[in-house]
Amino acid sequence: MVARRRKRAARDPEKGLLSPPGYSAIPIKFSEKQQASHHLYVREHRVRGGTKSSWPQKRTLFVLNVPPYCTEECLSRLLSPCGAIQSVQLQEKPDLAESPQEPKSKFFDPKPVPGFRVAYVAFQKPGGLAAALALKGPLLVSTESHPVKSGVHKWIRDYTDSVPDPEALRVDVDTFMETYDKKMAEEEAKAKEEEGVPDEEGWVKVTRRGRRPVLPRTEAASLRVLEREKQKRARKELLNFYAWQHRETKMEHLAQLRKKFEEDKQRIELMRAQRKFRPY
Amino acid sequence: MGPAPAGAQHRGTAEEPEMMESALEGPVKEGKRDSSKKRPVAGSPVGLLQPVKLSRAELYKEPTNEELNRLRETESLFHSSLLRLQVEELLKEVRLSEKKKERIDAFLREVNQRIMRVPPTSETELTDQSWLPDGVRVPLHQVPYTVKGCFRFLAPAQVTVVGSYLLGTCIRPDINVDMALTMPREILQDKDGLNQRYFRKRALYLAHLAHHLAQDPLFGSVHFSYTSGCHLKPSLLLRPHGKDKHLVTVRLHPCPPREFFRLCRLLPSKNNVRSAWYRGQSLSGDGSPEPPTPHYNTWVLQDTALESHMQLLSTMLGTASGLKDGVALLKVWLRQRELDKGLGGFSGFIVSMLVAFLVSTRKIHTTMSGYQVLRSILQFLATTDLTVNGISLCSSSDPSLPALADFHQAFPVVFLDPSGHLNLCADVTASTYRQVQHEAQLSMALLDSRADDGFQLLLMTPKPMIRAFDHILHLCPLSRLQAACHRLKLWPELQDHGGDYVSAALGPLTTLLEQGLGSRLHLLAHSRPPVSEWDISQDPPKHRDSRVLTLGLLLRPEGLTSVLELGPEADQPEAAAFRQFWGSRSELRRFQDGAIREAVVWEAASLAQKRLIPHQVVTHLLALHADIPDTCVHYTGGFLDALIQGLKETSSTGEEALAAAVRCYDDLSRMLWGLEGLPLTVSAVQGAHPVLRYTEVFPPTPARPACSFYEHLRERASLLPRPDKPCPAYVEPMTVVCHLEGSGQWPQDAEAIRRVRAAFQLRLAELLMQQHGLQCRATATHTDVLKDGFVFRIRVAYQREPQILRETRSPEGMISLRDTPASLRLERDTKQLPLLTSALHGLQQQHPAFSGVARLAKRWVRAQLLGQEFTDESLDLVAAALFLHPEPFTPPSSPQVGFLRFLFLVSTFDWKNSPLIVNLNNELTAEEQVEIRSVFLATRTQLPVMVIITPQDRKSSVWTQNGPSPQILQRLVVLAAEALPVLEKQLMDPRGPGDIRTVFRPPLDMYDVLIRLTPRHIPRHRQAVDSPAASFCRGLLSEPGPSSLMPVLGYDPPQLYLAQLREAFGDLALFFYDQHGGEVIGVLWKPTSFQPQPLKASNAKGRMVVSQGGELVMVPNVEAILEDFAILGEGLVQAVEARSERWTV
Repeated sequence: MVARRRKRAARDPEKGLLSPPGYSAIPIKFSEKQQASHHLYVREHRVRGGTKSSWPQKRTLFVLNVPPYCTEECLSRLLSPCGAIQSVQLQEKPDLAESPQEPKSKFFDPKPVPGFRVAYVAFQKPGGLAAALALKGPLLVSTESHPVKSGVHKWIRDYTDSVPDPEALRVDVDTFMETYDKKMAEEEAKAKEEEGVPDEEGWVKVTRRGRRPVLPRTEAASLRVLEREKQKRARKELLNFYAWQHRETKMEHLAQLRKKFEEDKQRIELMRAQRKFRPY
Repeated sequence: MGPAPAGAQHRGTAEEPEMMESALEGPVKEGKRDSSKKRPVAGSPVGLLQPVKLSRAELYKEPTNEELNRLRETESLFHSSLLRLQVEELLKEVRLSEKKKERIDAFLREVNQRIMRVPPTSETELTDQSWLPDGVRVPLHQVPYTVKGCFRFLAPAQVTVVGSYLLGTCIRPDINVDMALTMPREILQDKDGLNQRYFRKRALYLAHLAHHLAQDPLFGSVHFSYTSGCHLKPSLLLRPHGKDKHLVTVRLHPCPPREFFRLCRLLPSKNNVRSAWYRGQSLSGDGSPEPPTPHYNTWVLQDTALESHMQLLSTMLGTASGLKDGVALLKVWLRQRELDKGLGGFSGFIVSMLVAFLVSTRKIHTTMSGYQVLRSILQFLATTDLTVNGISLCSSSDPSLPALADFHQAFPVVFLDPSGHLNLCADVTASTYRQVQHEAQLSMALLDSRADDGFQLLLMTPKPMIRAFDHILHLCPLSRLQAACHRLKLWPELQDHGGDYVSAALGPLTTLLEQGLGSRLHLLAHSRPPVSEWDISQDPPKHRDSRVLTLGLLLRPEGLTSVLELGPEADQPEAAAFRQFWGSRSELRRFQDGAIREAVVWEAASLAQKRLIPHQVVTHLLALHADIPDTCVHYTGGFLDALIQGLKETSSTGEEALAAAVRCYDDLSRMLWGLEGLPLTVSAVQGAHPVLRYTEVFPPTPARPACSFYEHLRERASLLPRPDKPCPAYVEPMTVVCHLEGSGQWPQDAEAIRRVRAAFQLRLAELLMQQHGLQCRATATHTDVLKDGFVFRIRVAYQREPQILRETRSPEGMISLRDTPASLRLERDTKQLPLLTSALHGLQQQHPAFSGVARLAKRWVRAQLLGQEFTDESLDLVAAALFLHPEPFTPPSSPQVGFLRFLFLVSTFDWKNSPLIVNLNNELTAEEQVEIRSVFLATRTQLPVMVIITPQDRKSSVWTQNGPSPQILQRLVVLAAEALPVLEKQLMDPRGPGDIRTVFRPPLDMYDVLIRLTPRHIPRHRQAVDSPAASFCRGLLSEPGPSSLMPVLGYDPPQLYLAQLREAFGDLALFFYDQHGGEVIGVLWKPTSFQPQPLKASNAKGRMVVSQGGELVMVPNVEAILEDFAILGEGLVQAVEARSERWTV
């Protein structure tokens, strides 16, 4: 089996690499030393008419199957021979809609452990895209001139990076809270402005902050009200007063017993099937 | 109720008998009913219980009289309908079928004829046995050989079937039929009761019979055995030939003719074995009276009473099927507890007589059901003490009858038969009786607790000694007991037991040990030598041939903490007895209260050693009083301790180290409480780490890093690992949750709360540094604090945060609460985990063995490379279940027995159909548990595979939400089922357990790829099951160094590597690793992901396109992936071994 596989692998270069329709395949290896290679499947990033995409049309390369050790910088270095690159973004899965706009705080949203990902590479010119699609490879992630850390060295670097700088964290927190406080203050001011002012149809919005606070509009609160109503009704009801009520309770009891009996029988059946009655 | 419509009435009556029948007859009819009634079951997965759906018409139809009667009967006679059905099923399983009965009856008739045809012999002296043919040996040790009297063989005067077979109370498997052969009067002479003459004749009688029957082709095997283990009374076993070999064993018991022996000569106070004869001394006239031989007398009497007992039982049990059911159930109960076999066992016969006794005292009525009989007998056993107040079936008040007191003097347990002369419990030792009592008490408690699975625990769970007792001790070789008998001056007993030194020594030895172990001991039990069977051409086995005597100790945890045996004050007269009892170990000591007392002090520093004090006591006492050297005492109690011992420790199993960490945590929490300058006050400090509930396999040691070993990050006072050195020691921070008070100042926005918490983390670090001089390091989510070498990770929490994460606002502005993954995670980490931790911390205070059990269990699961799949908490809870729901056992007091029960629980629990309820702090009532079970059944499909319910978590089973998968759980079940018998066999081996680590070594042959790691970068390499002789220096000092820099925290390259592997290849393969120093990662390809996949962008991960049958599909790029394994773990990975070709598609 293995021999056959090897042969096929050896034949591959002549035949050209297989790729899904619409994609072209570029072999990628970690370094010279590796025998086998993964394949990047690349195509032009296109969206159906009407869908919005933040990636520029005609010059964005969509890359599938980016190995975990291949970082953004790395990809940008590998593809830069094709043409100047505007931006590279790696993502968990293809996401047409939008890339996250606001930059994440490095303290609060640490980078996840990478797996196989997809990439969007935006070239500055459409020519870069064409060159990239024709790329033959194999690409080497780690070379003499640009070694990429992996294994123990990478973990040590990650650990070093993870030791935080308290001052930077404080600054980060303070800036966030400042903007947050500002936002809240604005909202408050707006709410205060609207307080008691009827809208165009004449409705007045009642809020928690008014002179007479009302129940918050939560699900829990409404459930509580319903529950109280139910209790009130139950208190008024008489139990086992009429003969029919009495009869019904009895019948209910019997039904319970029957149900229990059926359940038990089912359990016994199951236990018998599992030979649970062999004591030893 | 109104008159029922005719149709309904008719249908009801028609159905009722069918239901009864189906309950009795089997699944055929049941199946038919199923298909008509419970349609949903048809399409359900196999072996899964479904909620029952009955139509309204079914539920509310008019009841018939039969149905009402049955329901009423169930309610009054049984505990529940389930129990009733279960009992019926069990009885069906153990009862003999009619068909077999017929075959047995035919065989018995044949046997009867053959016996009658055995030819007589001419009369010879008893000592002249030359007439015996070559092929047969006398089945008795004839010591001393010379004895007066003559013997000849004559066919028996009468052959009767006695015992359980006729009564219909015998249970499968191994059906025995007892046949009493009445020897003709001509064989016997006067005074045959003396000096074993009767037993000699009995043995010769059997030998002759055996010789002739052995030649008969009817019998597949003819063997000798001892009647219930008594060495003076052989019996002959006959088994049919050919395929009926296992059908039945007929046991022949010769017995004397009726009223041959005079009862007054066989009173317990009478002597029937003369010392002069037995010891071969001529002078016995030195004035000392002959010692009584109560056991000898009893054995003679037993033979005379075979028939009368049979008659009594058949009149008592005769027609009452409930009583017979009861006896059968009791026999199963005894057998599961290994109480019924061997000499002095609490046999089925004794139980039957006990039923007869309770019938005669009207405590049991003949209309009672089997379950009620079982219950009444257990109740009786649990509440009476036959060692003090014996009972008697004899109703006559004849003054010539011996008094009960006489019997109490001669026997530990007294239960007289109707003749008033025979003690039915003569051979039952006090320990055996105590064990029966103990079991009965446990069982009653279980029945009274109305547990749902009482039946299962009571009658279906075996309780082998190794799993029932905390410590086990083997005495072997048994020949040492002979010397012990002499040392203990037990000559009269030997004479009485006909030289059986094992049973003669048993009583005194157990009394000795019970006295010595005192408050440490709850119960001492001994094994009964198995009843051996031997070929008729061989000599009977010697007393020592049963090889080993096993004692089981059930320890009292509260007694285990003391190292002191306090004696009387020195000037008291009891002091001499104390000194005599303890020998050289007893010493005079002056105590704090000024008293000067005799005392024994044992050497034990740690809890593990204290647990093993009984070992010291036992060896000391046995050597001192019974001359049994410690080489003959094989104590099994602490063999598994080695697996949870730290690297350099050999004396402790880590409880002390854990306690030290917990004390340090207590200090820290006090500091947090008293912290000044926090804007909000601390409202609670709670531990949330396994160390803080005593269940971390290897307790943390104070970290004292050697600075030269590390890179320094001066400005942040932290140490960093260096690439050119081996991986530094692993320090895991202990999580502590610190709740801050609620306040209007908290923002109401999730993101903002996180920022505020981060600000608190920073502030906390600052204040701890300023006020207490602790080294701290704050991050956005936690603050690491270095205190006395321990590192704690404080997480600030705000009570309302999960609530806020749950809030969603509907378009109408209604705020509703919906669980989100983030809110669940936060709630689990800050609310449920601390609660669990404190509950288990409490459990450890009640049961000191909890820590050891939980850690052994966790260690084993991890050693099997399954640690990743089971959360710490779920395994802790399973271990806690062993303590909170020990039935039918008692809570374990040693890690060993607890671990065995863990394996048993894991391998036998029906995870599919029942939740494991762990009733922490006993908060769940019985009704709530029933409710939980029914909810469980209704929502089974939405619940995880393994469901563990606690009072704090009644529905969702938080700790098993993310695993294990069904396959992994199944794997664990299989592994546990395989490990349990292996380990039990090792521990029960008197020669020592051999390699105790066998069951902790994982099988590696199932994995497709093995990734071998280099020990240099495995920080916990030394914790491996097979600890390496040498490992790398991990940059720790043995003395506290000057450095107060933060050590490297949580840096474990194999774990980091695994995280990467799982992220990158998680959907192609499973990765298995033992975090405690494993050197190998097992990789298992997922078969499903190796199916060729269609071309899709989301499928591309790690795959490549190939053409298969002209079609383009995606398959995993295995060669590249194997190389990726090496790349991702550069420096850590030594080799990647692909071992199977299974991936080739």
